Amino acid sequence: MFRRSSSYAAVAAGNASGGGQSQSPGPARSGAFSHLAHGGSNLGIQSNLSSPNHTRHHPRSLDADGHHNSMSTSWGRGGQLPSYSGQFGYLNSYGGVAPDGPPLSFFVPSYLRGSKHAEKLEELHRSRMAAQREYRSNHSSNAGSLSTSSSSVNLHKMVPSHRGMTHDVIERAPVFADEPVAPWPTRWSDVDKYAQLDVEDGGRQAKYAGTQKAHDEAASVRADYPMPRQCGIYYYEVTVVSKGKDGRMIGVGFSGPKVPLTRIPGWEPESYAYHGDDGQSFSNTTSGKPYGPKFGTLDVIGCGINFRTGTAFFTKNGVFLGTAFRDLKTDRLYYPTVGMKKPGETLRANFGQEPFSFDIDAMVQAEKAVILAEIDRTKLSARADRDKGPTDESILIHDLVGQYLAHDGYVETARAFAEEVIEEARALTGNDGELGYIEAAEDLDAINRQKIRAAILDGDIDKALKHTNAYYPSVLRDNENIYFKLRCRKFIEMIRRCNELNAQCHPPTPPSKRSIASNGFRNSAATDDYDFEMELDEQLGVHNGTAQWGTDNMDTEDELENKESKLQNLTDETIKYGMELKSEFASDPRREVKRALEDTFALIAYENASQSTLAPLLETSGRLPVAEELNSAILVSIGKSSTAALERLCQQTEALVAELADDGGPGAFINVRRDFLQ
Amino acid sequence: MSSSTVSVSAATPTQHPFQRKIDEVKPSKADINFVVMDYLISEGYPRAAHKFAKEANIQLPVQEDSIQSRVEIRRAIHAGDIDTAINKINDINPQILDTDPALHFALLRLQLIELIRSCTSSAQSDITPALTFASSQLAPRAATNPAFLKDLELTMSLLIFLPAETLQPQLADLLNPSLRREVASRVNEAILTNMGARGEARLRSLVRLRLWAEQKARETGKDLPPELPLGLLDTDGNPVEGEDAMES
Repeated sequence: MFRRSSSYAAVAAGNASGGGQSQSPGPARSGAFSHLAHGGSNLGIQSNLSSPNHTRHHPRSLDADGHHNSMSTSWGRGGQLPSYSGQFGYLNSYGGVAPDGPPLSFFVPSYLRGSKHAEKLEELHRSRMAAQREYRSNHSSNAGSLSTSSSSVNLHKMVPSHRGMTHDVIERAPVFADEPVAPWPTRWSDVDKYAQLDVEDGGRQAKYAGTQKAHDEAASVRADYPMPRQCGIYYYEVTVVSKGKDGRMIGVGFSGPKVPLTRIPGWEPESYAYHGDDGQSFSNTTSGKPYGPKFGTLDVIGCGINFRTGTAFFTKNGVFLGTAFRDLKTDRLYYPTVGMKKPGETLRANFGQEPFSFDIDAMVQAEKAVILAEIDRTKLSARADRDKGPTDESILIHDLVGQYLAHDGYVETARAFAEEVIEEARALTGNDGELGYIEAAEDLDAINRQKIRAAILDGDIDKALKHTNAYYPSVLRDNENIYFKLRCRKFIEMIRRCNELNAQCHPPTPPSKRSIASNGFRNSAATDDYDFEMELDEQLGVHNGTAQWGTDNMDTEDELENKESKLQNLTDETIKYGMELKSEFASDPRREVKRALEDTFALIAYENASQSTLAPLLETSGRLPVAEELNSAILVSIGKSSTAALERLCQQTEALVAELADDGGPGAFINVRRDFLQ
Repeated sequence: MSSSTVSVSAATPTQHPFQRKIDEVKPSKADINFVVMDYLISEGYPRAAHKFAKEANIQLPVQEDSIQSRVEIRRAIHAGDIDTAINKINDINPQILDTDPALHFALLRLQLIELIRSCTSSAQSDITPALTFASSQLAPRAATNPAFLKDLELTMSLLIFLPAETLQPQLADLLNPSLRREVASRVNEAILTNMGARGEARLRSLVRLRLWAEQKARETGKDLPPELPLGLLDTDGNPVEGEDAMES
């Protein structure tokens, strides 16, 4: 009856998703508002959904058909979000707290600390916390609407549900940067359980409250999330708090999402367990195999899957009992599962909230050490037959470092390094002539690029344009976007110079002195479309006053007048240039071009743009991205990579290791940054 | 200003999906600079390390103390002056060689190769010094370890073949400078480990990790492009930019 067709997606949709299955397209309203949005048949469910307790529920176990089971915990099954990213919904179920609830709880099992997967989940958690804070600050004034909005967020994201979602999840598109991250189990599910099995103590404890089961029946519960294979090894422990009256028919293990919860784990297909009454291990069948000792009250039973090797093992009271199952299909979802039969039987789970009794950390470390040793044995010679690049590791690294230093413009370092490498090579061969690979060729290209980069960083865009057109005539033609940015930057640099000159002509002046200002030197430039003209006139008028004020020093006055006329010229030039720029790009339909133009022209409207909200545009730091972009485009235009080889190597390594981690393979044990870059 | 970046990669419309994953990785420049500095220090490029500290505005790591003597030792080994190298290593800490017989043996064998090389440089040369050295220094050690013995035997066979235009690859390897390079780098790691530092430059491990990961991924049938070029070579197979900033 608890046929399960759920998935991460359903979980992601969260509690608030109760209405997703129903016909009603409207958002689930909370409490008193629910009747506004929903017809009668759903009302009860919706109300239940939005009750203050709803945050602790994990609605995973619903019939896709939308049959609302009479069990109190049955809601319409959540829509299919093939990701964990239904932000608020996920937030609800993840850690079991609503956006307006108490802070999200988050823990990292000891053996996963420092792993890439844990880092991803931590990052996710942090961004959720931030979202929660934002949510609170946005909604604190209107408490009544809290769950309403969180629910509607979910509902809007919903798509019609269908079955077989688990497979969709597995066969999902490859990992990208915003790929959802599979969470690990945190508690027993409130809904993915046998009805008379009570989940207590924040989901940590499961207790059978019903009557004794017939010999082939049992009461089972699954955890809220499957054991993520991206961890490489996943492990959890269960303490037998009470084995009930006269039995210890307890099974600890894992099962797929659709395995009936009326059976003890291990007996059904896709379920695996270690049973306390006979110490046998069961996989997919009712006939067990001798495995370990029996267990009962106060024993701590651990269960782990090694996804790399496709094996599972158990521990009892901190002692490893050996491999129980082999050849597990690692593309399936396995939820931690326990089952029991006698009234009063109680199991308490540790999903990593507390220290484990078995030293799982050591096991994971040993696994990692094996992989690191394998990596260390990898020889570069594997590249030799492909006739690509240096086959000697030392030479390859010399090349990587030298190229990186040159590429990223550490000119002095690059030179010193090259000299030292040459010295080394000389010592090695004892012969100046046989330097072969290290021949120092003057790379005109690098020098040209450095000139262009330096010109942009100096704010001399004209020089950069000139050089670029001279050395790499096709680049600006082929990269109109960069050309546009350079042209805008030039305008910005002109404004910058106007501002600077203006500041020089116009030192801070007491108002009383300024009032002397009267001078016919008014800008009478022809009026045009730009209303910034007036602004400029005013500026000029003011600083003309300053000139008067400085009459006691002829040199200064001359200088000032000189500067003023320069400023005047520059201003005229700037305006002229601005008009050119406008006419050149005004008809460009691209939105980002229009935006950039607007922003750029807006600068001139300010008397002192560096004090305005547009000041960031004027920062010299804005030169660097333009320079980098142009540099990249030049590199590409001459058939070189825009990324230094060493950087590329890091990228490839991360991407390759991620590939090897995604299916629980050896990459799961490697954290490139932590293990290799720090 | 619009922050949109230029799609310089748009030139290749049929991009492999894995290439996109690679492009989405944004390595931190600080990490890369750290790895480069770590390499310059641990492999002994003191001048570059100092320049780099200045240009990249990062601190010199502490192991920097030993860098000068490590550079001298490397230079000595590269030049075939093994005596000097062994003395300098023992100046740092005699335990380095005492606790690593294989490394000590490798150094002595390198010394033997140099002796043989000079003994056989002309037809009339006297091979006695090489024989004496082999029997006094290497033979007693070789007796303790079959691998050492094999290495010694192979080395001694050089005496028979030299001087020669062509040698079988096994023997030619003994005369190849890369053997000196390899021993020098082992010595360097041993010194660093002895000082409590990480023995191997991270960059070396990283290069191996990259290689291992590609091999593994191909073995397990991951969907990868046929080639994953680093961009060190341009399309004609010529080095790109390699040491280009030398004479600017």
